[in-house]
Amino acid sequence: MADLEDTQFHTGDSGASATYPMQCSALRKNGFVMLKARPCKIVEMSTSKTGKHGHAKVHFVGIDIFSGKKYEDICPSTHNMDVPHVKREDFQLTDISDDNYLSLMSDNGDLREDLKVPEGEVGLQLRTEYDAGKDILCTVLKSCGEEVVIAVKTNTALDK
Amino acid sequence: MIGLISELEAAAGIIMAPTNVVSSEQRHAAENVFLNFRKSKSPYSVCREILEKSQNEYILFEAAEVIRGAIIREWSFLMEDDRDSLRQYLFQYITNKAVPQFVQNRILQTIAIMVKRASINDGGRNRTVVLQDVENLVINGDHKKKMLGCFLIKNLLQEYSNTLQSTDVGLPFEVHFKAKKDFESFDLKRIFQFCVYLLSEVVNTDPPYQESMLQLTNQVLIISETVLQWAYIAPMLPRRIINLYERVYQSEEPPHLKLDKHWADVILNPEIMTLMFRVFWKIRDQEELAHHALACLVQLSTLNGPVVSEEAESIKYLQNFVVNFLNLVSNVTIRKRESVAIANIVNKLNYFSDNDLRKLPKELTESMYDEFSRLTCSFCDLAVNEEAQGEEDKFFGDAFTIILSSWDRENLMTDRQEKMRYCPIAIFNKYLQVHLAPPDGTRQPCADDADEIEDNEDNDRIKYKDNLQVVGQLARYVLDHSLSVLLNVLDTRINKLVNHVQTMQNRAMNISEAASLDNLFEDIHWALLITGNVLCIESQGECASVPSEIMSYSLRQWELGHTTIEATMNTLAAMGAKSGEPHDFDKCDMVFKILYVVLKLSFVEEYAIANKLGHFMSPELGSTLMWFLRSWCVEYLLPCNVKYLGGASPILLDILEEDPKCAMLLFNMLISKVQSNMYFYQSEPILMRDTVDLFCDIVCIKQKNTCVVKTEGMRRLIQWQQALGVGVLPPGILKNVMKGIILAGSTIKDPNELNAYYDLILRPVQNRLKTFLSQENLTRVYHNEDVQKVFIDIVELLSGVVIGVQSNTASNIFQFIAPMLGEIPVFMTVYSNYQIIVQLILELFCDCAKNILCFLSPNHTKTLYDCSLAIVQNYSKCNANRFTSEAFAEESNLQDLALVLDLFTHTLSKDCIDMYNINTNEETLITASDVALFGLNFVMPLMTIDLLKYPCLCAQYYRLLVLINDIYPEKIVGLPQNLRNTMLQSIEIGLTSFGQDAVHNCLEFLEGLALHVFKQKLAQTEFGQAIKYYLKLLMDLTLSHQICSDLISSASVIIYELICSFQDEYQMLVNSLIQMQTDPLVAERLAAAFNSLMLNVNLTCERQQKTKFKDNFDKFIANVHGFLIVK
Repeated sequence: MADLEDTQFHTGDSGASATYPMQCSALRKNGFVMLKARPCKIVEMSTSKTGKHGHAKVHFVGIDIFSGKKYEDICPSTHNMDVPHVKREDFQLTDISDDNYLSLMSDNGDLREDLKVPEGEVGLQLRTEYDAGKDILCTVLKSCGEEVVIAVKTNTALDK
Repeated sequence: MIGLISELEAAAGIIMAPTNVVSSEQRHAAENVFLNFRKSKSPYSVCREILEKSQNEYILFEAAEVIRGAIIREWSFLMEDDRDSLRQYLFQYITNKAVPQFVQNRILQTIAIMVKRASINDGGRNRTVVLQDVENLVINGDHKKKMLGCFLIKNLLQEYSNTLQSTDVGLPFEVHFKAKKDFESFDLKRIFQFCVYLLSEVVNTDPPYQESMLQLTNQVLIISETVLQWAYIAPMLPRRIINLYERVYQSEEPPHLKLDKHWADVILNPEIMTLMFRVFWKIRDQEELAHHALACLVQLSTLNGPVVSEEAESIKYLQNFVVNFLNLVSNVTIRKRESVAIANIVNKLNYFSDNDLRKLPKELTESMYDEFSRLTCSFCDLAVNEEAQGEEDKFFGDAFTIILSSWDRENLMTDRQEKMRYCPIAIFNKYLQVHLAPPDGTRQPCADDADEIEDNEDNDRIKYKDNLQVVGQLARYVLDHSLSVLLNVLDTRINKLVNHVQTMQNRAMNISEAASLDNLFEDIHWALLITGNVLCIESQGECASVPSEIMSYSLRQWELGHTTIEATMNTLAAMGAKSGEPHDFDKCDMVFKILYVVLKLSFVEEYAIANKLGHFMSPELGSTLMWFLRSWCVEYLLPCNVKYLGGASPILLDILEEDPKCAMLLFNMLISKVQSNMYFYQSEPILMRDTVDLFCDIVCIKQKNTCVVKTEGMRRLIQWQQALGVGVLPPGILKNVMKGIILAGSTIKDPNELNAYYDLILRPVQNRLKTFLSQENLTRVYHNEDVQKVFIDIVELLSGVVIGVQSNTASNIFQFIAPMLGEIPVFMTVYSNYQIIVQLILELFCDCAKNILCFLSPNHTKTLYDCSLAIVQNYSKCNANRFTSEAFAEESNLQDLALVLDLFTHTLSKDCIDMYNINTNEETLITASDVALFGLNFVMPLMTIDLLKYPCLCAQYYRLLVLINDIYPEKIVGLPQNLRNTMLQSIEIGLTSFGQDAVHNCLEFLEGLALHVFKQKLAQTEFGQAIKYYLKLLMDLTLSHQICSDLISSASVIIYELICSFQDEYQMLVNSLIQMQTDPLVAERLAAAFNSLMLNVNLTCERQQKTKFKDNFDKFIANVHGFLIVK
């Protein structure tokens, strides 16, 4: 068992494929899956079968994690589906550049400046809080080559 | 006047106009015109004008409505002459004018209300006169008048039938109730007699009938039906129960016909019975009429009460009914729309006492049962037909279920055993036959064979449970017949399946073979369902025992030498060897013979899997097999301490107890089957569920000399589980495997052995967690899916451990898992961005609170509380002040918060039920309510009003508040001010925004607090002042109808409790309410009403006083709603 875990722990995701296969029946509600080539969060999962003595099929309803669009798919439960690697990481906001780039610092102290202020309400909220001088944590969602700030939160961890 | 009419007409025009023509302001203005019109005082002459002059139907209806409202409000102000002339006018109006049906109905209802109100004062004299007039009208009038007469009687029946649902008529409940009693003892019988008279005219003519005749007959039948379905309610019942009765009667089945002695001359008259049957014969082709006529017959089949207290009368009535009924059913083919009523009659005849049924003439009884079993079989056929054709409405299906249930009775077989055998045999055979494929059976291919079937639909086992149970019971009356038939069916079908699989191994199936494979699955599936219901009776919450018929059958066979213990043991041994037919199989006990054959099915499945043919097997059949084995094991493997009347069969009782080898063998086989299912059929959720159920049930079985824990199969399964790769088993399965393994430990008695067993199971879990935590680079790699999966597995295993805990293993197991639980809260933060993990952790702690908390010592309890609080604290820290653009964010928050509230609710149960032995000196350091309140402090900011709008979360939240308050109101009082204020605000919102259930909970919450404030004399404290506000709020809400009438009495209790604490405020409130009235007459009446509200009520908060106030308040509201229109 220990060997197995060791080998698994060293696989990084750099250069790896954006998705990996998983048996349908092993997927969970609130987990992720590729539907119509888009990374989706599974919001509904139900099973059905063709005929009384048939085998189970899984019916998915998913929501695109970036665009919020809804997708559906159905798949025999023994088959594999592609699952996207989805990473949701919190960064501390240190600065916003004049050309709208964010300076973000990870838990480990790594810095990055390659993400823009997101569009829409989250962006507005981020600006307002930043201008008010609050400490801000940004949640960065990364999957299938896309990366975007999807949530902001006034950082209370520092108050303590 | 003309002005008013044209104003109303203009407004009506706007309301009826299509949406695109008028603006919403115009619409509002028009609605206001009518709302004001409805509030007009003494509008009688205005309305009469309108009725006479206007052509607009909408306005006519409004005028009728306004009269109705005014009558209810102002009844007591009206002079008797005015009332009479108004009533006569209204009746004249609908007789002479052609008005639309809906206007006519409203006017008829108004008249009925007037009759009822008048009857309260004059003891029904006036009503008798009205009825007399109406009868004359129906007999002598033209068709229109006849129909109007019938409509009025219908409306009268409607008005008098309800007592609680009709409180809007402005009378307190007691008065309604008295009026109803009055009506039923004087006029109900008279109305029925009148119907009988009219119906006897119908049967004297022959079809085809004229349309007008049919319309009238229909009305008469509806009236008869209403009279026969009348709910007589005993006067002594509390109001709550009467309310319940009325609701049930309205929504479900009507009550049985229970009549007083004064009905004897009518109801016991044989000619009336014959008349009712003849009416049905005559109008049978008219669907609607036939329906009401049948409903009357159903009611007549339920006659009971003082009117038939004499045995001779009862038997005579019954005999008369049965003769008429048999005459009917044996001469016609029952149509589908008649079937349910016919089945109902058969079923309801059972309510006549056994004694009565037994005293019927012998030939009549025989032909009765003959006819009933013929009907049952024929409904069975028709039901199956209906199903096969995929019909939407299941008339015959319902009828079959009802008629079949009439056979489920003790008295059927007692004294006529031998003679009556043919009935159960016929029904059993028929049921089996319709479920088997031809040539042996008559099953038709299903219409929707290739359709998608959703898994949330119930499967046959659940859907036909009632039928299967009765068929099982019938089969147990005739075991020598049924068991051998079933054994034969199972044996031949399963052997065929064996051959099938063997053929498949050599070559591919052709289409007809594939179809016949499906047929085989279906045959075996049904044979298993029926056999399972014959051999076992599902026993929920009771100690399972072998059905007594099976026990005595087995005993008799053994005594007669037809079976021997040796042959049975041979069979058992042969099961393990999987060899050919065992030696002396003929002499094996039937129960084991069947098990032997069924296990062959299990072997075929395993054989198919081993030969890569597993995907051809049926998951449905696999589930049924798991269910059968589980029922069999629970019933025949559990040691029985039950005393069997008539002796116990040594084979059934001793064989597994005496020979540990046999039991071991069986356990090993079952566990290995469980393991193989879990491995190969992970993708079949339902089969998995049934497999897990079987597993968790058999591991708990403890025989005298054997224990599942010590079997080779169990050892192998544990090894298999521990060697499983990460994330191999689908969600939930790993948890349940662990649950079973932990449950198995509860059968170990010796404490050292027990510890060693749990060490074996739980040490590896601890090691997994240790390895996980000690990764150097965990902070960098925790995002990786592989790493997440390891953690998910650990949490699932822990959840499985927790739900497998029993009272005797709790403290032992908690020692193992406590350190692990302590490591979890930090991951609530680490993985806060991954909802699956967040929810799994919350579920784990919910499971802890639900399954283990009540068994823990104070010290252990505190450990668990600390962890739970840390979890909630971390959760709220990560989610407070968060703003996101994700589309599913709200739904996610909802799910998380529901789990958090669940956690609190389950934790609170520790304060109600604590199973821990309190013999130790450990002190209770902290109570569960502290935990829940402290926790709520963290999550309150996350519970937005938008989220509370979700009904499930809303209900859960208010339930939780009530629960805390029930146990410790003082803790609520002692809360920090801001939390307390948020909580009280949420109660105010709950009273107005989320519907009745929330209101109910909020009222319950306030009631506890108001009482607490009074008892602890907190009125002058800051908290008391905060609560005081609710006196005015509740008063406003009840006066303005914003609290529905069902809840007014709960609200009144709180109002009373608050008045006790805040008398001055109450006086001020009353004064300001009175001063607000502009009309001096209203102000005066309001003041009087307030006076009588507090009349003879002491402000002591005692139960008796509370009840007095509650009654007063009821009358107060009924009274005040009459003249006070509060916005």
